[in-house]
Amino acid sequence: MIPTIGNFALWLSFFFSVFQLIFSRRSKNIKYIGLIVNCLFFSTLISFFLLMYSHVVSDFSIINVVENSHTTKPLLYKIAGVWGNHEGSMLLWILVLALFNYFIFKLINKENLFFILKTLEVQAFIIIGFSLFTIFTSNPFLRILPAQLEGLGFNPILQDPALAIHPPLLYLGYVGFSAVFSMSVATLILNNKQNIFWYNCMKPFVLAAWTFLTIGITLGSVWAYYELGWGGWWFWDPVENASFMPWLIGTALLHSLIIVEKRKSLQAWVLLLAILAFLLSVIGTFLVRSGILTSVHTFALDPSRGIYILVFTALLGGYSLILFGTRSKNFFNNNYFSLFSKEGSILVNNIFMAVVCATVFLGTIYPLIVEAFTNNKISVGEPYYNSTVIPIMIPAFIVMGVGPILNWGKEDKFKFLKKIFPSILFTLSMTVIIFLFYKSYSILGIAGIFLSFWIISNNIFNIIKKNKNYSMGMFVAHLGAGLLILGITGSSVWQDEKIITMKVNSEVKIKNYNIIFDNIEEIKGINYIAIRGNFLVHNDKKKIITKLNPENRFYPITNIFTTEASIHTNLSRDLYIVLGEGNINDGWVVRIYYNPLVIWIWIGSLLIFFGGIISLNINLKKLLK
Amino acid sequence: MKKQILIVPSIFFLFIISIFFYLLTIDRNPSEIPSNLINKTVPFFETETLLKNKKFISSNEFGNEIILVNFFATWCKPCREEHKYIIKLSKKNNLRIIGINYKDDPKKSIAWLKNLGNPYSDVPLDKNGRIAIDWGVYGIPETFVINSDGIIEYRHVGPITKKIYEKINLLISTLK
Repeated sequence: MIPTIGNFALWLSFFFSVFQLIFSRRSKNIKYIGLIVNCLFFSTLISFFLLMYSHVVSDFSIINVVENSHTTKPLLYKIAGVWGNHEGSMLLWILVLALFNYFIFKLINKENLFFILKTLEVQAFIIIGFSLFTIFTSNPFLRILPAQLEGLGFNPILQDPALAIHPPLLYLGYVGFSAVFSMSVATLILNNKQNIFWYNCMKPFVLAAWTFLTIGITLGSVWAYYELGWGGWWFWDPVENASFMPWLIGTALLHSLIIVEKRKSLQAWVLLLAILAFLLSVIGTFLVRSGILTSVHTFALDPSRGIYILVFTALLGGYSLILFGTRSKNFFNNNYFSLFSKEGSILVNNIFMAVVCATVFLGTIYPLIVEAFTNNKISVGEPYYNSTVIPIMIPAFIVMGVGPILNWGKEDKFKFLKKIFPSILFTLSMTVIIFLFYKSYSILGIAGIFLSFWIISNNIFNIIKKNKNYSMGMFVAHLGAGLLILGITGSSVWQDEKIITMKVNSEVKIKNYNIIFDNIEEIKGINYIAIRGNFLVHNDKKKIITKLNPENRFYPITNIFTTEASIHTNLSRDLYIVLGEGNINDGWVVRIYYNPLVIWIWIGSLLIFFGGIISLNINLKKLLK
Repeated sequence: MKKQILIVPSIFFLFIISIFFYLLTIDRNPSEIPSNLINKTVPFFETETLLKNKKFISSNEFGNEIILVNFFATWCKPCREEHKYIIKLSKKNNLRIIGINYKDDPKKSIAWLKNLGNPYSDVPLDKNGRIAIDWGVYGIPETFVINSDGIIEYRHVGPITKKIYEKINLLISTLK
């Protein structure tokens, strides 16, 4: 009964989105449209919660629950199981589409009536596409007869709190750009004849999508670091790239919107970025869901799904980009500005972001292009990204450091030197201190540390001087970016790794630490059994700092082995131990990583997230005033 | 400024989309991963076998005839699905098939083979996954075709489907 209602509610969402499309085109009656928008949101919400309910009560008459759940699964992961699979996550997509649809409607007033109605029309078209896709190729409510007694279980590697909330946040980001896309297309269609401040409407959506995307990517990274046991937090996997590209475009969009607000310049550029941010989100989904390339995230290998998403993407992208090509000339103006100004710095960084995005895009699809033309298989990995992305990022970070302290319009060269003098001094001294501490002669390391403190110190001196031009959100986010660079530099340049076979009571030295393999034991978890190693960590004064307990887990239901890394974190480094295979006679393979400054990656990303939240809050207040 | 340049994004987009479209519609397998072992001799291994009470020494077994090596495990669902094709392959070509039992419980494996039929001439045990590492196995199931000189001719990652079954048949008939 419940699944039938859920399926019915999903169909209702489809019909409401069709009504929304028709009504926002024909009728100008806000009451009707508001009713439809609300109904659309609630029917999707009901459908989603009914699927969640089916997962929670383990309704094994639903294929989706059978394939992805098990009665012994902890409640949190039963709930997370709803979006831990392709079908359920598509339902979540539609829910988030409907949610943003609802917020778009909230902006409606007498002045922007036509603009919002057109936006709702485009948004309705997107919802129709995704709901048809879900209903016909990925219906989460399909039944199985007879009902099964037990589910097949859930990939235990996904049993992690960070991963439980990672997809919803990521989708808020991806799908949030749908609203931005709709607004951009609506603006182009209407040619902005009414002279609406469409960019003011767009900004909170860009901020929301970008902020959630930031935290979503961070959590995915946290999961990779803690759960995969590979010692790293970013692997340039196609799926990571799929989320990174909209983020880069979102970052560029966010900043260039500031210029549009201030000077009305760059409107065409912003309209293009708004389209690209969502298109890249959809293409990312396509890459992951169609099985066109293999990655750790690949959901399902079903070509019919791939074709559907591709056709839909082609429609959305083809229409919006051709529209852009023919209409955007109306959005050019002659408000030129000096490159040596705040606008100038934002524009320069916009270009850098776009170039990085293009580079990552090329790296991600290059193997596919090569295969299409030559039938050869190649893979593009870390070396490519490191040698292309880093050189573009270095000048971008230099500009990012000075951007906030530059004046609007034009900056005086002499005054500017006076402004940056204290931060140059501070940056140089911090770089020297850290250099002496780590005694590393890596140029990349020194550059990273320099850039990090360059951004941090410019920000802090700016706030000390009570510069009128700064906003709290920007300050927090830029500070976060500085700390993030610090963490990335430390953990990638000064990482130390040891892979050895250890017997009980043997010891190994990494940096200043002596690690003793104390003993190994068998333990039993809720739905797994595990062997757990106990390692004692001594510092160079022979004092025990901590005990580390990496585990090697076995989940009998799905027959999967996982490794649980054990990590000791402080502000200067992580000690990271993974227990591999072995036995009592030959010893166990143990991987030990010394990862400097990793915590600053998480702190930095969190600050960027909070910066986004603060700006979002300020912008919403301004808009709804 | 020439405004024609504004149409470039759409052209580029349609180019990318047509590549995706082409790749989706042609017969391709994204999990077909090139192996460094292709055209090289099989890696040496020595281990116990499941059904016979003797050691399996790879150097004694390969190099006399065409052999199919199939990594399988009872806990792997796709292995169960591909099993019918393995049986077909062994019957149709009178092919010798060695099934390497990966990280498995011998009791379960015996029962599994009894239920589904045993197409394997030998079932060497890879209890700790060491052999799979030497063979560069990416995921279970995985299948290799070895020619009569003991050289690896073909590798397939993932379950054998109807298409792959036909491909292997064709390959074997050309090798003979």
